[in-house]
Amino acid sequence: MSEVVWVDTRQMSFENSIRHKLLRLSEAAGIIEDLLESMQVAVKINTAEEGYEYGLRPNFIQVFTEVMEEKTLKCPLICDGQRLVDYWRKARGNTFLKTAGARGYSKETLGGLFLLNGGFSGDEGDLYPCGSTESELGGVEVGAAVCRADALRVLSHVTLHPLFGINGALLNSGFECLSGRARTRVLQGLSPYIFNGSRPGRDQVNGFQRRALESCFGVRTAVEERIFYVNYLWDVTPQPEYYPFSEGPVAENIGFLASNDPVALDGATWALITKQNPAIEEMVGVDVPGLIRTAADMGLGSAEWSIRQIS
Amino acid sequence: MADYKCEPTKWVEMSQPVDGGRDTYQTKSWHPPKENWGPFTTSGTAPVWFAEANATNWTESMICKAKDLFYEAKLNECFDKGDEVAIKIHYGEWNRTAILRPEYIAAIVEEVKACGGNPYVVNDTTLSYHIFNSMAYSHYQKAGATRHGYTDATFGCPVVVADGFAGEDDYRVDIPDGLILKETYIGRAVAEADAMIVLAHARGHAITMYGGALKQLGIGCQSKRGKYITHLAHWGDPHDAIGWPKFTDQCPGKACKFHQMCDDSCPRGAHHVVEHGKVWDPSKCRLCYSCQVTCIFSGMTGITFEENYFPNAMIAHADAALGALKCFEKGKVGYINHAIDVVPECDCFPWAGLAICADVGLFAGKDLVAVEMATLDAIDKMAISPGSVAEEKGCKPGDDKFQMVNGFSPRITMAAAEKIGLGGQKYELINYEPVLSPESAARWQVRGAGGEKGKATTLRLRETFHRNDLATEVQPFRRTDYNKEWVFSEWKKYDPFSK
Repeated sequence: MSEVVWVDTRQMSFENSIRHKLLRLSEAAGIIEDLLESMQVAVKINTAEEGYEYGLRPNFIQVFTEVMEEKTLKCPLICDGQRLVDYWRKARGNTFLKTAGARGYSKETLGGLFLLNGGFSGDEGDLYPCGSTESELGGVEVGAAVCRADALRVLSHVTLHPLFGINGALLNSGFECLSGRARTRVLQGLSPYIFNGSRPGRDQVNGFQRRALESCFGVRTAVEERIFYVNYLWDVTPQPEYYPFSEGPVAENIGFLASNDPVALDGATWALITKQNPAIEEMVGVDVPGLIRTAADMGLGSAEWSIRQIS
Repeated sequence: MADYKCEPTKWVEMSQPVDGGRDTYQTKSWHPPKENWGPFTTSGTAPVWFAEANATNWTESMICKAKDLFYEAKLNECFDKGDEVAIKIHYGEWNRTAILRPEYIAAIVEEVKACGGNPYVVNDTTLSYHIFNSMAYSHYQKAGATRHGYTDATFGCPVVVADGFAGEDDYRVDIPDGLILKETYIGRAVAEADAMIVLAHARGHAITMYGGALKQLGIGCQSKRGKYITHLAHWGDPHDAIGWPKFTDQCPGKACKFHQMCDDSCPRGAHHVVEHGKVWDPSKCRLCYSCQVTCIFSGMTGITFEENYFPNAMIAHADAALGALKCFEKGKVGYINHAIDVVPECDCFPWAGLAICADVGLFAGKDLVAVEMATLDAIDKMAISPGSVAEEKGCKPGDDKFQMVNGFSPRITMAAAEKIGLGGQKYELINYEPVLSPESAARWQVRGAGGEKGKATTLRLRETFHRNDLATEVQPFRRTDYNKEWVFSEWKKYDPFSK
């Protein structure tokens, strides 16, 4: 059983603002515990597409980058990879940075340099094995900003996801850390968008989910298992950040969860948001509890968790 | 140099050339040259616009003149509306001071945007160059760029490292017409741009003797792989020291106080110090310059360059520039050379020497070689700056300054560049002098700062002063009573030149 630490959003006060809560979460969950002086930390975040209006506020990220820098004495690198679909005909390194900049993501606001994982083209990276002989992918190309780091912190804006059910620690620490070319290979022709309501077949979705989970092994190998995960249950929209629009959140802002186990973290996250709004299960059209069990069976973590609430 | 005991460098002889995986790499990354690439002028003289480095009124600001030259030289015609326009600059090494001020870059970015282009500023990563290099990794390079004031905010557009996080995001480009190189590797952010405006800092360079617009293409647009090939890595035999460093047998080994720095300088561990010298394994060496430059920067002479290396590297970097130019259609690349802070060394040095001459001005055009020749000729005509290395080496106005300061004439590069079709050495210099008029004075004022183009900012202030008359609301000011005699004579007591 893995522990998930949860700081909720209740009882705000002068000394209990979001910033204070995130700092307490950092300490209670041990987000920087394994970091040592001089380590280069990559912080994987989700940046919003033009048109998506519920992107994570940069100061939510900065709270953690500050404590990381304090511990490592090195400015962390904040990164995200190019989007796969050229929705606005802007899927280029420069326009990606421009869009992130327009969302207020800069060195000053994030507390660390914001870089493209995978370079200008999105394809810069190295190949890492997925760890098992049963792996369909065999190996995946992990984006250069992630695979060249000494440690990885995965800060995920939790949203629903049309193929994976939930955008959280598992998707963001695996599939989302890959080079563009590798992500195309994981998708195998599936569109990451569903606009007209028609979903791809269950087999196709299951295949994608399994390959996306396999990707987590490649990323883990790349950073030698030095990973920690934070899920922001804040503005949980039906669309993930790469969508060029967003409907309103489907759950209240429940707070922030952290763990060193991505399976338990996503499992606990799903349990909390569906408890608050049971309609989410129907809305997403993906068997997320089944996905969590698959991830646990593959050895990515534990499908059993305990929540330690620290508010 | 102290009286050291130096033993000859011990070599680990190479049994065969280094075997790589080029065939696999090439198939993945080949970038076909544009069919209609080429220099803007193919025969005769090329026009080069020049604005001198001096100013006495609004229109003569160097920033205003840079904008004027952008249009005079028709660099605005290098791109169409909606084109992705790479603005190529040098981000400058950590602790470098003689770099282009951000305003020069912002000025051109503003005009590219005003003309409908989508600009982004680019530079590629470098090789290690020296032990404390900050440009080989993109995050170090961007940290240095930020320290120089090169940010999205100051430029008004994204600041991109062209060849990715570690310099591996590139395309291979064929250059069958190169004199030495037959292929090179260009950073993706350059190769994928629709057009490019090169904003070069014209100054010296330790390897290519001079660095201006051509070097921005020949080295600055090259990814790490491109820089290795341009450095001539593994060209010839290690004993010739062309494609490898030259070990002089003058290394004092552990007696050198920099010996640990020397060992640490190699990113591949190709050499290590022993009691009275070095052991070197050329098969591990990739000619990144790190050991040579670290040794030379330390004032030592153990690892250096073969004399003939330089002219060959100069020709090779002209070839590599051709590779960059071939990524663009003809007429899609424009150049501005900024002959300002004309220091002896490159912006990749972690310091800046005194300028060898006073600031010259700006040179703009679409013919790469012509712009370079006009810049070089003008720099050579300038008086020598006192205290500079040019004065130390006995330079006179009219001498080839960079040849005297750095060893070889940059005209070697230009002759090679002309031969392979980068442009022509003949140019017609068009001296641009802005005429002061109400229209020209207003032309480049406070756009982008919330101001209305061409409108006097004082008119906006009237509104504020109408509501709050800051001078009169606190009147009368407390001061000594006005005394005409005192006002006209008292100050002279404080003036050392007053009799």
